[in-house]
Amino acid sequence: MKKKATYQRYLNQFGWMCVAPSIVLFCLFMLYPILSSLYYVTRRWKGMTNTFIGLGNFIRMGQDKVFQAALGNNFLFMLFQIPLMVFLALLLAVLLNQGIRRFKGPFRLAIFLPAVTSLVVVSVLFRVLLQENGMLNNVLIKARLIAEPIGWLNDAFWAKVTIVLAMTWRWTGYNMVFFLVGLQSIDPEIYEAAEVDGASKARQFFRITIPLLVPVILFSVVTSTSGTMQLFDEPNILTWQGGPANATMTAALYIYRQAFFVNADFGYATAMSYVVVLISGIFAFIQMRLLGENRKAK
Amino acid sequence: MSMVRNWSAGRVLALVVLLAATVISVFPFVWMVVGSTLNPNDVLRGNLMPGAEFASNWAKATKSYNLPLFFWNSLKIAILTVVFGLLVNGFAAYGFEKYPSKARDRVFNVLLLTLIIPQIALVIPMFRMFAFMRLLDSHAAIVLPSIMSVFIIFFMRQNFKMFPTEIIEAARADGAGELAIFLRIVTPSMQATYVSSAIYIFINQWNSYLWPLITILSDAKKTMPIAISSMMNAYTIEYGAIMVIVCISVLPVLILFLALQRQFVAGLLGSVK
Repeated sequence: MKKKATYQRYLNQFGWMCVAPSIVLFCLFMLYPILSSLYYVTRRWKGMTNTFIGLGNFIRMGQDKVFQAALGNNFLFMLFQIPLMVFLALLLAVLLNQGIRRFKGPFRLAIFLPAVTSLVVVSVLFRVLLQENGMLNNVLIKARLIAEPIGWLNDAFWAKVTIVLAMTWRWTGYNMVFFLVGLQSIDPEIYEAAEVDGASKARQFFRITIPLLVPVILFSVVTSTSGTMQLFDEPNILTWQGGPANATMTAALYIYRQAFFVNADFGYATAMSYVVVLISGIFAFIQMRLLGENRKAK
Repeated sequence: MSMVRNWSAGRVLALVVLLAATVISVFPFVWMVVGSTLNPNDVLRGNLMPGAEFASNWAKATKSYNLPLFFWNSLKIAILTVVFGLLVNGFAAYGFEKYPSKARDRVFNVLLLTLIIPQIALVIPMFRMFAFMRLLDSHAAIVLPSIMSVFIIFFMRQNFKMFPTEIIEAARADGAGELAIFLRIVTPSMQATYVSSAIYIFINQWNSYLWPLITILSDAKKTMPIAISSMMNAYTIEYGAIMVIVCISVLPVLILFLALQRQFVAGLLGSVK
């Protein structure tokens, strides 16, 4: 008996040895930054020195119109980009799964392709394509769809549209793959039974396909929400530092600029990042609850 | 469900929509390759006939920017992250899964909790920390924090679940050591998991932008994304040269994807399992 106990202890020790390197790295590059941010958040930087200001950074945020507008932009992008992308990804997945018989593989491959590009590359490509005298405007003018070039990058409204378009191009195929897997996991017998009962195709789609895909759709919404909350690369490169005149400024980009460009105020930047963490946490919590309820309902 | 099986007009419509999506998805790739052979004006205007400027674009790209160096920097950083990442996260996932203990499960749950923390919230204290350690502007500053990945540990753990514990116990009965069991028996049969994880880590690191943008200060240390983004900030933008560099920066990921499509997608889908 005693021998067995020491053997169990040995196994337990080996288990700790396996996870130890990752825990050390976790403490260094996750835990320590989180803990030290508790110190930064209470301080205000002026040049190289900093002073304690308690909750002063949060009070300052209340008066910071640019930060509020930046958060507003994050929400705006979420509100328009995620539904647009989910709709397109769902449409393409359904068409690919049921609408055609041949060339499914090549279509899936082609539509997924944008997902291999980095966000930096996407931003550069769209920035060149969407110049005032750039390709898209030229094509649209030649096709007589517009008379004057559109200010894709210089107009406050169109710059927001540009961000949404670039994100949609990059992520639709990626999400489509998830939906495809979801569709393929639905048992065909369910449809056969519905067929026997005389349910129309449209009815089958809304009563069978969509409800069974809810977990996958929710998953895609969860990851997209957290991605959009962190939106940085596109506004920094594509619309150049959140331009024009902060029209595409996002929270992450504003925090970055406050910490590393404008006044190097790490305290204020940390406080703003707390708000982003809080909002992301709330979104994640709500969405997980929805997912949980959906699982229970089944 | 075959919504349109017997309705050929529906099938045609599906085909048209899918073709349109294909053209929109693939067009920028064709355009960037064509663009690398054009002079800056033709790139901007959107000329789609290949030109003869590739050599001069290449010369510009390699003369004003140290393109081979940036490529090498990116490659080195990505490969180091993959090697250390597979080692550390592989061991961790195996430890959490095959040596069950309450204490370790609690640790694992703490790890999972941090998944919701956006990167922007970590980079400020990390910057202060690396400045204090005098490690700013080094490739170590990029590699070290990205080795441990909660997502990869989670993904690998899910896969280790499928490895039968009976085999491990049988090996123990035969007198094999724990380390030997992991390295000689478990790891070789989990190759697919390791390949998917490697692809995921490589691409993430190859494309990473925010943290390198903050830590890298000198030209010689730049990675491809940082080099590209600083070119876009230049006073005059060399569109032809940019297209060359963009093509080259997309190439490794494209090759990985085309060569290992199945594992590539498996890596993505690991998160929904």
